[in-house]
Amino acid sequence: MKWITARRRHPLAGYVVVILALALFGVGYAAVAPTSDQAQAQTLAADVQSPEDVDVAEGKTIFDQTCASCHGLDGSGGEFGPDLRDVGPAAIDFQVSTGRMPSMNPDAQMPRKPMVMTEQELASLIAYYNESIRNGDNGADVPYDVPDIAPDFADFEPLRSDFDSEEDYHEAVEEAEAEYEAALEEYEAEYDDYITGVDNTDMGMRLYLTNCAHCHGWSGGGGALTDGRWAPEIHESTPREIYEAMVSGPGAMPMFSDGVLVPEEKQELISYVKTLQAEPNAGGIFDLQRVGQVAEGLIGWVVGLALIVACAIWITAKQRAHD
Amino acid sequence: MSKTTQAPKALRGVGNFIDDRFHAAKMGEKNLRKVFPNHWSFMLGEIALYSFIILLVTGVFLTLWFKPSMMEVVYDGPYERLNGVVMSEAYASTLHIDFAVRGGFLVRQIHHWAALIFVASLVVHMLRVFFTGAFRKPREINWIIGVVIFTLAMLEGLFGYSLPDDLPSGMGVRILQGVMLALPLVGTYISMFLFGGEFPGEDIITRLYMLHVLAIPALLLGLIVAHFMILWHQKHTQYPGPGKTDKTVVGTPMFPGFAVKAGGFFFFTFAVTAGLSAFVQINPIHLFGPFTPTSITSGLQPDWYMGFMEGSLRIFPNWFDFQIFGYAVPIGVLVPGLIVPGIIFGGLGAWPFLEQWITGDKEAHNVADRPRNAPVRTAVGVAGITFYGILWLAGSNDIISETFSISLYVTTYIFRVLAIVGPIIAFIVAKRICLGLQRRDRETLEHGYESGIIQQLPSGEFIEVHKRNSEETTEVLASKPEITSTALTEPETDDKGVKNPEARKAKGRLRRALAEWYTKDNVSLAGVEPHSGHHLHHSDEVVKEHASH
Repeated sequence: MKWITARRRHPLAGYVVVILALALFGVGYAAVAPTSDQAQAQTLAADVQSPEDVDVAEGKTIFDQTCASCHGLDGSGGEFGPDLRDVGPAAIDFQVSTGRMPSMNPDAQMPRKPMVMTEQELASLIAYYNESIRNGDNGADVPYDVPDIAPDFADFEPLRSDFDSEEDYHEAVEEAEAEYEAALEEYEAEYDDYITGVDNTDMGMRLYLTNCAHCHGWSGGGGALTDGRWAPEIHESTPREIYEAMVSGPGAMPMFSDGVLVPEEKQELISYVKTLQAEPNAGGIFDLQRVGQVAEGLIGWVVGLALIVACAIWITAKQRAHD
Repeated sequence: MSKTTQAPKALRGVGNFIDDRFHAAKMGEKNLRKVFPNHWSFMLGEIALYSFIILLVTGVFLTLWFKPSMMEVVYDGPYERLNGVVMSEAYASTLHIDFAVRGGFLVRQIHHWAALIFVASLVVHMLRVFFTGAFRKPREINWIIGVVIFTLAMLEGLFGYSLPDDLPSGMGVRILQGVMLALPLVGTYISMFLFGGEFPGEDIITRLYMLHVLAIPALLLGLIVAHFMILWHQKHTQYPGPGKTDKTVVGTPMFPGFAVKAGGFFFFTFAVTAGLSAFVQINPIHLFGPFTPTSITSGLQPDWYMGFMEGSLRIFPNWFDFQIFGYAVPIGVLVPGLIVPGIIFGGLGAWPFLEQWITGDKEAHNVADRPRNAPVRTAVGVAGITFYGILWLAGSNDIISETFSISLYVTTYIFRVLAIVGPIIAFIVAKRICLGLQRRDRETLEHGYESGIIQQLPSGEFIEVHKRNSEETTEVLASKPEITSTALTEPETDDKGVKNPEARKAKGRLRRALAEWYTKDNVSLAGVEPHSGHHLHHSDEVVKEHASH
């Protein structure tokens, strides 16, 4: 207490109090505010199975628990969620794999988040959707030939509790590592094939800059839209997610069906933007997040000019007569 | 130094040769002894000069490889990502500078950073001159030259930004063309003339290149030389202090003291610019890709100095647009694109004469005002900064909207209100702060400064010991000029009761009203004797008592 008493009249004390209060509110809000992890049913964390084997019954469970409260048990929509029967599995895959669904606030545009279920659960959900909800074959199919996310080691890791001895467990871990390496290699080859499989940069660039850049920005950094919406940044998006966004037209985004942009054109476009994003920053180690001129102007003033003026103050400094 | 050293014979020979022909010694003696004031704010203009030199040098380097041509070529070069892409020669040659010319990338970045710092230093230099009243007689002409340099620098930057023919530069030119088209009657003709036909045509890069490397730099160089010669002739202003009057200059002589400082300062400016260029990527045209008329991207802005124009275009409503005989008159482009910058730059140019007209002050001033001692001028300046700053912020409203998750439309409405309310509030606040500082100055002058020592008098009363100000502080505080206007001192009627004809006219009445506005509320130092205040006397007593104990 003495420590505080001695300092509470310090000229900076007021600022310190304000900063502490702001930090308290910020942290407190972050702790209390609902997150999508809490919003969805906790029972979804099921055992890891191979992504290939699909369980329609599990898909139904997931749908009923996670989606039906807004979209209705038959997917026909309701007060809070749109009709899903005609959107197609590409839209389901896009919305769930980018973490936008399940949404915790149906009125707000959802930002990108980690997916709340496993790949396998998503596959089951899509299987259930195709079987019981989708109207015929309306909507676009999931473009399975376009590479999605890289494999995650967590999907391969064995559980310690499944093994009796430490040795067996280590053996299993090594096996899983080898499997993971192989899967990663396969994925990377697939990804490279897709990205470098086309070579008409001109076409990809024109398609991207004409159709996408006016919302998502020249390198996919995102941008502001009308009415409080925004075009999300697409740096983290996988080629498959970009493809699915084009064929399903989520939110305010227009739909670019395979009739409008044929799959090869989509591949050119995706290849262009993914290659651009992977470009190193030749101009220096600080890329200013590629925000461009606003960030450059800020740095020009608060770093460039400020340093030079500081130098001017330094070289003209003289000892002041005491007063 | 009692011993005079003689220069080596070889130097003496050359020196005498030149001296015999140009009287260099006489000229040199006078000019090398020229006195420069010692205050950092007098170095701000020098930042602009040094950045300009850096721009000239790096600019010459860039012209060696840049091809100002809009001929379409298919790129085939070291930047593999764009191989096979159709682009203009201007863009391709910029890629060549970036990736094939040794040091080209760095030099291009230095050129760009130096341009940003050049215009920024012009602004801070101009603000220093404004707020200290250094534009007053006899320096009005130099002030106007400064305003013209500022305007030309902006155009120079805009044209340079447009030359690489990359995505943002094409968009900038498109906006420029849009503002041109908004001009009634002549707009389309001017646009067709500048672009040699429809946008973008095949000529614009070549023409902007000519303007960017020849016409405007030549004008700028000429104006900067004129600015300097006038400065040299008129000498600097100086802040008030002992020995500083309207007739004498106090400071460091040009040689050796100031020359060393200024030389070192050049290298520091260059170091900061080069350091930024080495580590911070600026305008990565190779990433943007070439401009095509169908391409457009969100989140792109002009360089900072065009930001206020961008903002003014973004927030001005289209409520006043109308049509006449089937021709559109887009007020929503005309006013923000031409009238707003006209007000800002015209206002800057006119202010010295306006102020002189209001106060009727025809004296030459070489001692600078402290900003607080001219509260209305300072408040007008702060209001101007606020207006400019809000427009500038509005120019990046999409970035603000995205970064801070504020609805884009909300930012527009906020900026519309702020652009009008902001300057008014800024004026009032700045003026009040000035007056508050004036009151504190008067108190300090009268009572000395607070020493932070609390003492108890024998009567039990507590006082804070005030100490006498230094001679310099006293001088500075006491130098506060009285703000008056001849409009208020001349009588309304003459001795025969006839009303002053000047005061009867609308112009005379306006002048009187403005003079009233300009001079009222000032804190007067009339009747204030330095160190006459009671605080100081108490303190003196205490000190005396202490001494007697």
